[in-house]
Amino acid sequence: MDVISTRSLTKYYGKTKGVADLTMSVPQGAVYGFLGPNGAGKTTTIRCLLGMLKPTSGSATLLGEAVSLDGADLRHHIGYVAGEVRLYEKETGRWHMQYAAGFRGGKGRLADELLERFEFDPSRRVRELSKGNKQKLALILALAHDPELLILDEPTSGLDPLNQETVYSVIEERVAEGRTVFLSSHVLSEVERVCDTVGIIRGGQLVAEEGVKALLGKRLRQVGVEFAEPVDPALLAQVPGVDNVTAISATSLTARARGDAVDALIKRVAERQVLDLHIQQASLEDVFLEYYRDTAEPVAAEGGEE
Amino acid sequence: MSWTLFKATLHQHRTSMFWFAIGLVSYAWMMTWFYPTIGEEYANIIETFPPELLAVFGGSEVPFSSLGGYFQTEYLGIMWILIVSSAVIIYASRAFAGEIAAGTMEFVLSQPVSRVKVALTRVIVLVVYAVVLAMASFVPLEVFGPTYDINLGWDVTGMLIAFGTLFVLAVGGFAMLLSAIFRGGGKPGAIAAGLLGTLWVADLLSGASEAAEALGPVNVIAYWQPGLLINGEQVASEAWWLYGGIALVSLIAAVVVFSRRDVA
Repeated sequence: MDVISTRSLTKYYGKTKGVADLTMSVPQGAVYGFLGPNGAGKTTTIRCLLGMLKPTSGSATLLGEAVSLDGADLRHHIGYVAGEVRLYEKETGRWHMQYAAGFRGGKGRLADELLERFEFDPSRRVRELSKGNKQKLALILALAHDPELLILDEPTSGLDPLNQETVYSVIEERVAEGRTVFLSSHVLSEVERVCDTVGIIRGGQLVAEEGVKALLGKRLRQVGVEFAEPVDPALLAQVPGVDNVTAISATSLTARARGDAVDALIKRVAERQVLDLHIQQASLEDVFLEYYRDTAEPVAAEGGEE
Repeated sequence: MSWTLFKATLHQHRTSMFWFAIGLVSYAWMMTWFYPTIGEEYANIIETFPPELLAVFGGSEVPFSSLGGYFQTEYLGIMWILIVSSAVIIYASRAFAGEIAAGTMEFVLSQPVSRVKVALTRVIVLVVYAVVLAMASFVPLEVFGPTYDINLGWDVTGMLIAFGTLFVLAVGGFAMLLSAIFRGGGKPGAIAAGLLGTLWVADLLSGASEAAEALGPVNVIAYWQPGLLINGEQVASEAWWLYGGIALVSLIAAVVVFSRRDVA
């Protein structure tokens, strides 16, 4: 069952495009990373999913129910952390927890555990909290009632590495219990760490959607070869799908292989005597930058909108 | 209505509501206290004013020399309008537009509560606010009045509270509608205050110029004649209908607009 599903979801702010023709789906139990730089349309998409923005056209369903502006029942099953945490500055963390509990019929079975794990003091007013502590409070408020679907917009923003790790652990535990996570981020290491599927959004449009492992494993590799004899860099540069060929020395070359080009590259390399060979998977950051290079073709164009 | 949201909204406005109420009680008490001192001289003082100036202040239909005229001119005609309008415009501006701009509406609407319930609850708190302000304005006249030889009676006080509540709801309701339309608390507040100021000036000028009377039929300030009630008379039925109509239409429209708009 798809927990999140959108069909041609489009949102314009006047003439400005927020998100356009977005069709995607997130199955139950997935951790879906929604990746893109600031202004790409991530937050607009999330706000449309939560019924805070009215789509210009298209539709969305969450947990099998159509999203509407007044979908209160649906939000019983959703935990949300906004990209920029805005809470009532004069009120305490405890006040916010009681406030949320009032709507949800209880403080939530995970509330006490989360307070302990995040070492959060709920007696302090929001205006006294650091950015990181505000983020902790937002996470506690979103997670306390153990929602079926977590929508997290930059969830670790402002958190120290220790608390970031706590967030990742909590996400993994929730997913292990069958929950679904939709995580928007531009922190690539975060997406690489916790997500199993990633959708890349650019200029309001989903340009690719693929499993993180597949994306990392198939799309980009950094290859280093030590030959027994001097070689011309053109040896590798002529291979289709190979670029960034660099001569480290007369006998040593590095190159980047895209997609399935690694097979042809290895065959070309094998024409000469090889002393050493290193193949390194590109980081998600490399993949990400590839999508955003204006001049380059999308690396996984064929993998988009699976 | 959401009981959780109702309690939270009252909690968040408790301080301002308390101080506005205290201010109104103090002001009302002060005016009753002053009445014996200046009351007898009041008619003489008023008679020394030039006719044109009297005409400007004469937006009131109440005789200046009467008890109602005294309260209308010295308390309820200008200062009271400024105080209660400030209170409800501030509240109404924050109710929707201010919270959207501050980002806290996103937190509210991430909870399982419908927009209609959010809007209705904010409207109900406005009604509570209006009743509190009206009671703080007029109950002191009944409570402190006898000490200073002012005896209105609870029936008159009740009418004043009801009339005052409707006036506050009309102003607050209009501000709330603006708040549901715009983003950011500043714009709705500025527009509501600006319009109220314009009507007030129009009302003042209508005392001196017939041309300015054209706004009379829709001028909420011109219909604000609580002095008549204090004097045991009746205000025009159009006043009740005007205030009630503006309040009802504005508040219903505010709920509808808020339930359909983008909130981020």
